[in-house]
Order: sequence, then C-alpha cells, then structure tokens
Amino acid sequence: MKSKLTLIGLLLALACGLPFSARANRDGFNDVVKTIEQFYHVKHKSIPFLARTGMKAMRTAAKIKGGEWKRLAEAGSVRIVFFEDQSFDSRGQIASFKSSVQKTLGAEWSTLVQTLSPKDEQQTHIFIREAGPKFHVLVIEIDRRDATVVQATLKPEVLAELLKDPGEMGKSITDEATTVDP
Amino acid sequence: MRKLLRTSLRIAPVMLLLLFGGAMTCRAQSGKLQLDQLDVLTNRASNTVDVKLDEHLLLTTWKLFKDPDEVEIRDLLKNLKGIYVKSFSFEKENEYSPAEIDSVMVQLRGGGWSKIVGITSKKQSENVEVYLMMIADQISGLAVVCLNPKDVTVINIVGPINLEKLSQLEGSFGIPDLDLAKPKTKKDNDN
Repeated sequence: MKSKLTLIGLLLALACGLPFSARANRDGFNDVVKTIEQFYHVKHKSIPFLARTGMKAMRTAAKIKGGEWKRLAEAGSVRIVFFEDQSFDSRGQIASFKSSVQKTLGAEWSTLVQTLSPKDEQQTHIFIREAGPKFHVLVIEIDRRDATVVQATLKPEVLAELLKDPGEMGKSITDEATTVDP
Repeated sequence: MRKLLRTSLRIAPVMLLLLFGGAMTCRAQSGKLQLDQLDVLTNRASNTVDVKLDEHLLLTTWKLFKDPDEVEIRDLLKNLKGIYVKSFSFEKENEYSPAEIDSVMVQLRGGGWSKIVGITSKKQSENVEVYLMMIADQISGLAVVCLNPKDVTVINIVGPINLEKLSQLEGSFGIPDLDLAKPKTKKDNDN
C-alpha cells in the first residue's frame, strides 16, 4: 500500500511539475513564430537579414509616438521576425489560428486586442505581459502575403498611452519598428 | 493511512462540487460576462475586433494616467475590474442568427442583470440594449449589446460604472462610439 501511495504521489508530482517546467522554458516570441510557421506552412526570414533589420528596428522603435516616447527603446529589446512574400491562407479557419496563438502563449500573456478580417486574411494580435517594472508587448501582424512579429519592451507610461487606442497600438508598434531610417 | 485515504476519497467529490459551485456563483455575480461563445461568428464575419483589458492590466495602468485632463478617466479606471469588447461586422445582412447571440442574452436575462429601458441608438436600424448588474445597491457591471443586420457588438465593463461614465470611455480603450440617445431612469426588471 505504501509503495502504491508513493507511486501515486510521484506521478502526481510529475504531472504537476512538468507543465511548470515546460512553461518556465517557454518563450512567447519564438513559440508564436513556430505557431505561425506550422499553421500557415511558411518560414521566417534568415538571420543575416534579421541582423540588418534588427538594427534598424532598434533605432526606429525609438520613434514610436515620437518626442517624449523616445524612451520606448531604452531597454533596446525589440525583437522582430518577418515573413515576406509567402501565402497566408487560413482556408476559412482564421478563428482556429486565433485560438492556437492564445493557447501557445498561455496564461502568462494577456490578450489585449485581436482584430481579424478573414476575407483579406488580415490579422492583428496584441498580447501583454509584465516584465519587472516594464511590459512586454507582442504584436503579430498578418496579411495575405506578409507577416511580422514584434516584441517590444515598454515603460508603463508608454503602455498607458497606447492603451487608449488598442486598435492602433499594433499598427504603431509594427509600423515604427519596421520603418527604415532615412 | 488507508483510513485517511478512504476519507479523503469520500469527501473529494463534495469539496470539488463546493469549489466548482463557488467559482460559478462568483462569476455569475461578478458582472463579467462569458463572451467566448461568440467566437463562432469569427470565420463568417468580415471584421472581428476582440478587446480585453482585464483587472490585472487595469490595476497596473490606471495610475499612469497623470495628465490633468485624464483625472476623470484615471478615477474611473481605478475602480474597474475589466473592459471587454467583441465586435463582428458582416458583409451582407442577416449573416448571423439571433440564436448565435443567445449565449450572451441568456446570461443577461438572469444572474442579477437588469435591462435599462428607453435607451436607443441614434444610428439607424441599430437595436441597443443596456444592462446593469447591481449588487447591494452598487453597480458591479454594465453590458451593452448593439445589433443591426450587419453588425454585432457586445461591450462588458466590470465594476462600478454607469452610462454617464461609459460615455467618457467611448472612443477609447477599444470601446466604440455608441451614440446613445439619453436614457430614461426607469428600470425594467421583468425584461
């Protein structure tokens, strides 16, 4: 009986512990990129390209909201992945993609806004999670041929300003993070 | 040891039932609507907007609205526990059926919600219904259901809010401009 109970205890501990350790190793950004690749059968751009655009993203992210909001990129932690000139056809299952992304990110990330236009295959998903005194904002923008995934670290006051218009938040972050400096 | 195990097994279902029942009661009385079932409309809609500002996010951000012209918004957000908006637009008329909205309407017809009568939309052919949840003379939630042949919008604000305060939030935080005509004060408790 004792050994049975020990075994049950061990199994329960494993069952409870495994999801936590798996969660601890999860990185929302990379997980979302994988989810997009698996759902749409696409591939994100290679590292040399990313290195170049990453540098641009670092500079241009500072321009988000301009002026006083230049502190946005202070942490220098803008992560960005591009999918260019590939087919993003959800085959009428855009809602299923929406729930896949939510499932991938789990409870650690809060969904802020998701806008979907199935006919044009356009989507914007914005998720937020706390990162110490700051916030991580994850923006997924998809249209018929291209997609972008951006993760930016925002100061709370920047987040508050952007929260006033959640619909525009994704566009602001993605546009500015992917705009090439003149 | 065996006795302990047996007793635990015997009371486990009761404990689970109590926990589950408690959670359901809390949800029913919290002013928060379960809106996920509306997602069935997503694949058919030409446009879907789903906004969630949960309690945690509001708790973290309300104090950041520091400008003098944001004092009212700050005070309002301070007490709110959630802002949830789901909006679906369709290309053609009647692409959704009333039954698909039933998951929300059933919640609003019971569980402490009262419909406010006399509220209409200034927009043509839009049917607007506004509901309040009162707990001990305190508003604990507000729900607005806007239906027209090509659009479905459900707004659920959890916490102490009234129509006057709602108008302060219109156009911000994902809440659309509702353009509501002035409400009458009489409440319709029998729906």
